Amino acid sequence: MSNSTQEKWYAKLIDGLLPVFATIAALLVGAIMLLLLKVNPIEAYKAMWEGAFGSQNALAETLTKATPLLLVGLGICISFRGDVINIGGEGQMIVGAIMGTLVGITLLDWPGWAVIPIALITGFIGGAIWGGIPGVLKAYFNVNEILSTVMMNAIAVQLMNFLLRGPMIDPSQAELASKIPQTARLLDAFRLPRWVPTRLHLGALIAVILAFLVYLLLWRTTWGYRIRAVGQNPDASRYAGVKVRNYIVLALILSGAFAGLAGVMQVYGVNYRMITDGSASGFTGSAGFNGIVAALFGGLHPIGTIPASILFGALLVGANKMQRVVQVPSALITALNGLVVVFVVSSEIWRRRRQKRRLAAALTDEERLISEELNQGDTSSKEKEVEL
Amino acid sequence: MKKFRLMVTVLLLLAVLLGACKAQEPAPAAEEPSAEEPAMEETKEPFRVAVVMPSAINDLAFSQSMYDALLTIQSEMGGEEAMEIVYSDNMFVVDDAAAAIRDYAAEGYDLVIAHGSQYGSSLQEIAPDFPETSFAWGTTVDTFGIDNIFAYEAASDQGGYVNGVLAASLSKTGILGVVGPIETGDAKLYVDGFVAGAKATDPTVQVNVNYIGSFSDVALASEAANTHIAAGADVLTGTAQMVVGAIGVAEESGALWFGTQSSQTELAPSIVVANQVYRWDIVLNEIIDLIGEGTLGGTSFVIDLANGGEVLEFNPDFDLPADVAALAEETINEISGGAVALQAPKFEDVFKVAVVMPSAINDLAFSQSMYDALLSIQEWMGGEGAMEFVYSDNMFVVDDAAAAIRDYAAEGFDLVIAHGSQYGSSLQEIAPDFPDTSFAWGTTVDTFGIDNIFAYEAASQEGGYVNGVIAASLSESGVLGVVGPIETGDAKLYVDGFVAGAKATNPDVQVNVNYIGSFSDIALASEAANTHVAAGADGLTGTAQMVVGAIGVAEESGAMWFGTQASQSGLAPANVVANQVYHWEVVLKDVIQMIADGTNGGTSFVIDLANGGEVMDFNADYELPAEVKSLALDTIKGIIDGSITIELGE
Amino acid sequence: MISDLFSMTVLIGILASGIRLATPYLYAAIGETFGQRSGVLNLGVDGQMLLGAFTAFYVAIKTGNLWLGILAAMVVGALMGLAMAFVTVNLHAEQGISGIGFYLFGLGLSDLLFQKLVGTVETVKGFPKLDIPVLSDLPVVGEIFFRQNILVYIAFALVPIAWFILNKTTLGLKIRAVGENPEAADSLGVSVARIRYFTVILGGTMSGVAGASMSIALLNVFQQNMTSGLGFIAVALVYFGAWRPWGVLGGALLFSLVNSLQLWIQVLGIPIPSDIAVMMPYILTILVLVATVSRVRAPSALTKPFERGD
Repeated sequence: MSNSTQEKWYAKLIDGLLPVFATIAALLVGAIMLLLLKVNPIEAYKAMWEGAFGSQNALAETLTKATPLLLVGLGICISFRGDVINIGGEGQMIVGAIMGTLVGITLLDWPGWAVIPIALITGFIGGAIWGGIPGVLKAYFNVNEILSTVMMNAIAVQLMNFLLRGPMIDPSQAELASKIPQTARLLDAFRLPRWVPTRLHLGALIAVILAFLVYLLLWRTTWGYRIRAVGQNPDASRYAGVKVRNYIVLALILSGAFAGLAGVMQVYGVNYRMITDGSASGFTGSAGFNGIVAALFGGLHPIGTIPASILFGALLVGANKMQRVVQVPSALITALNGLVVVFVVSSEIWRRRRQKRRLAAALTDEERLISEELNQGDTSSKEKEVEL
Repeated sequence: MKKFRLMVTVLLLLAVLLGACKAQEPAPAAEEPSAEEPAMEETKEPFRVAVVMPSAINDLAFSQSMYDALLTIQSEMGGEEAMEIVYSDNMFVVDDAAAAIRDYAAEGYDLVIAHGSQYGSSLQEIAPDFPETSFAWGTTVDTFGIDNIFAYEAASDQGGYVNGVLAASLSKTGILGVVGPIETGDAKLYVDGFVAGAKATDPTVQVNVNYIGSFSDVALASEAANTHIAAGADVLTGTAQMVVGAIGVAEESGALWFGTQSSQTELAPSIVVANQVYRWDIVLNEIIDLIGEGTLGGTSFVIDLANGGEVLEFNPDFDLPADVAALAEETINEISGGAVALQAPKFEDVFKVAVVMPSAINDLAFSQSMYDALLSIQEWMGGEGAMEFVYSDNMFVVDDAAAAIRDYAAEGFDLVIAHGSQYGSSLQEIAPDFPDTSFAWGTTVDTFGIDNIFAYEAASQEGGYVNGVIAASLSESGVLGVVGPIETGDAKLYVDGFVAGAKATNPDVQVNVNYIGSFSDIALASEAANTHVAAGADGLTGTAQMVVGAIGVAEESGAMWFGTQASQSGLAPANVVANQVYHWEVVLKDVIQMIADGTNGGTSFVIDLANGGEVMDFNADYELPAEVKSLALDTIKGIIDGSITIELGE
Repeated sequence: MISDLFSMTVLIGILASGIRLATPYLYAAIGETFGQRSGVLNLGVDGQMLLGAFTAFYVAIKTGNLWLGILAAMVVGALMGLAMAFVTVNLHAEQGISGIGFYLFGLGLSDLLFQKLVGTVETVKGFPKLDIPVLSDLPVVGEIFFRQNILVYIAFALVPIAWFILNKTTLGLKIRAVGENPEAADSLGVSVARIRYFTVILGGTMSGVAGASMSIALLNVFQQNMTSGLGFIAVALVYFGAWRPWGVLGGALLFSLVNSLQLWIQVLGIPIPSDIAVMMPYILTILVLVATVSRVRAPSALTKPFERGD
């Protein structure tokens, strides 16, 4: 037993550092691009470091940026374990934020200690609904989740535009000829406490706590077991009496819920109102996509996602600082972001082998036996048919 | 014997001739530099001044202004015994000028004036070699930090402004012509001031400016003037010595003339209205006093209307209507009193500006309008040495923008511009944390009551209205199409204005409006335009960066295009009729002036047709029928004077 | 008001618009179909399109040769495809995510190159609308079908060609086998890696052309992020079309026709809020799929990396 524990620790450490090495490799390629733009890469990366970690404020910014990444990432951990790809995080964040904000601008006479939890829970539910719809569509109507989530993302954006321009618009804007699509500002009492003078808010702590809860969910509850089992081997699970369909839906519901929570946290912790420029990423900051990357960085493990989101958040915050200091076009930052993702994802080949081994060890012996019997050594050709 | 005498005579003649060819060079030095002698002398040594000038002392312009000033001082001081003046004129070869300056200094002159901005780098070399000599250099304010160089400049834009006001008031055709030498220095300052004054008086006046590329080509200046007259100008002005050619043409054709640098009345007494005359003696007096006290340089001076170094001199033979004269008087007072900011305020340190924008700086729309404005402001302030600006573009993620704004403020930028209405919330949080930083936010008029936030907006419905009027007048099918992004903010204002203007012109016109739901989807914008054309529209308009797609369709189908935010004429020269161009500089100048005066915010600004922040730019390549053009101009006037009110929809 | 929708002009307009709008989706989605059929999901299509769009535009304005622009776009798309293939086949990277990485890279790089090499927005003389004798002059039909530019026709022509390749050639058989059962294919001597490299590079090439069709044929301009997420929709359409070229055509047409319909709705002043109208294509796509519930199966090996002796 101690051998494997030791092995686990060592393995986890290497796994954890892999993304870091890959990131550095990507930044080296980025340095070439900087040189071509006649920018000193050392100066640039120094600025990046300072922007991410160089001061109390910088650190707070990194953590604030990491919070939605962590929350979305937690959802992704759940859904990927269930072998469901959820790229609908953007839309789920938006809908969660909309519903949570509705609470804050309607229950104006309620006390803060009641409204905040209600709002967060409502946001959680909102995201759950928006994730659940593709889930139901996949489970019962065989509509592939990539298609449905892409569509739902676009629909959510237009929904946001419609509501923020119309029924949910800030009353003070409604009279102006130029209506900025934003809601009213949340009452002071409704805001998540901040660690003044920075922007770091309570949501960060809540997210970390949730990470542990998700870990417990996935490895210590029946639901968690079954989600993972369905993801690993739907046939074996069906054989074992698990209603595969339901757990696919559950995976997407939970995944969407966490994204929704990420969205409502942004409103209650950072912006104190919902505001749009008409695009999805204007509100979400692409956290719906970046959260997927963060989860991957973290080995699709809830606890691992914590340092992974901090790292990725640092990258994003630092890159913006770099843009300001050496005045490179923001386009370079986007390209750099892409390079990092590609490099880190490519480095996964080693991590996944280890991960597979660890996953296999986590299944109960009985499930493993069944799985092996059915597979006869073939782990990659399975019919993903979902029968009606 | 005869031969010998002959030889001596010839030699003497040659010597005299040589001496006469070179403009008065200093006589072979016999005196010792007065600076080397102790200051106290019973017989007062004359104050010795030498001046090096790029043109003739009777050029009725630049050089003459300095020479006249010197003569004035000389007579004030008591004549030649009190002050000796020597000069080298027509020193347009910088090398020769440098030699002259060095020589005068070596000869021990008290004050050597290098009257030409091109002499600067030479002076930078020479002055340190002669620490006991005082040098003066113009026109500039840069003393190079060398302590025996004085610098002097003329705020020629001030008199230019007044001339412009007068010219616009007097012109009957509404077209003015300017003949300039090279677009730099004193000349540019004057011309810019003239244009500003003219436009401030009448925004519809057309000022055609021609820099002929030379300070001396009189023939070319004369041709430039002819061109202006042919284009319809009935009032001309110009600066530098070659303007004599232009004045001649003005007189022939009966156009009015406004002069600068020196009085040019005597050249054409019947048509010269007024001159901005330079009185360098104001500055010279101060310099000479300082030298007397032992300070040989290190200060810069400006002549302007307030200190009398520039004087607006009216031609007594010209019959100036009383109201125009009064207007001139008022303008002069305003400028002297500082009410009209012409020149940029000067800050101790480099003025640092940061701007955060939601789209690309080359989007031919929203963000580009601000970026271009900042470039022009930077020039106005005096270039990169006076103002530094940085930007973060594509900040469509509000969170990232907030981080950027906060960071720029923390880095000590003087002015942080949040160019996007979605940044307001964040700004509300950030501004109070940085009370010494000035923030500007657009497009909106809400400063949140926070005293270090300026707000700015565009009354885009005004240009929209004018575009609508023109579109409805020109449309043969009676159907117009609008391609908008999202029905909010600046876009909504513009579209509503367009619809109002079109309907006011022709109540039966059909204006179809399509908001495509995105600021970036060009393909959809293009299809929306196709849809409009299929529905019968022969005139299209739209706002925000994705309109590029719609403009392409307009070009293909032959429909007219009306642009806003920036000039889009270049994209479809045969189809673009007019553009409402944003000139945020108008706001930025006021903001920076207020910061210089100590106020960091609390005011909101609007750019509109009246203050020149919005300009209707008609595409020169599009043939606009005369009656439509005048309808447009009348509409602009009506909006400015308030007789036309724009009703905005829901 | 709603009755206006049924006038001839409007119907012609909707159909003509729909065909134009569908073109870039077709190129990208057909290309993606090959890739997915062989088991590779490429979410980076949008980035490939943007790089292709810029390359074609730049070459066109520099050389004046439009076909050279198309060629250049194909090369650039192929290179991106090559990178994706390497990362997917050799490094077994998680496909959904690596795709997003390539997307961001393509988005940023195309914008960067545009800013540095071109600067301001300008137009180019792209492929003109064709004037086919007789056909173009047909009433109704002529305007809808026969007055488009050549890249539109090529896009539609690709559909039967793709169908033929996938279903009637040995190559197609191999592709499908690799996507359904790579182990079996491998044991029969088919190089899984080589097939996947082929399909992914092909997909990249077609995405490049998709982008070019926008910048030098349909819109004649380049602007940063001009695709505005189109590539992602194209990927989704592959699922909609059940991995069959004709199905993909159906999806592209459905989506684009509803899009042009909503444009007309707004133009005719039918009182639907603009945001709701814009939503229509997306909602309808889902609804159609729900209504036509089928037992379609994804290629079994889709998104699963292949390792010999697994």
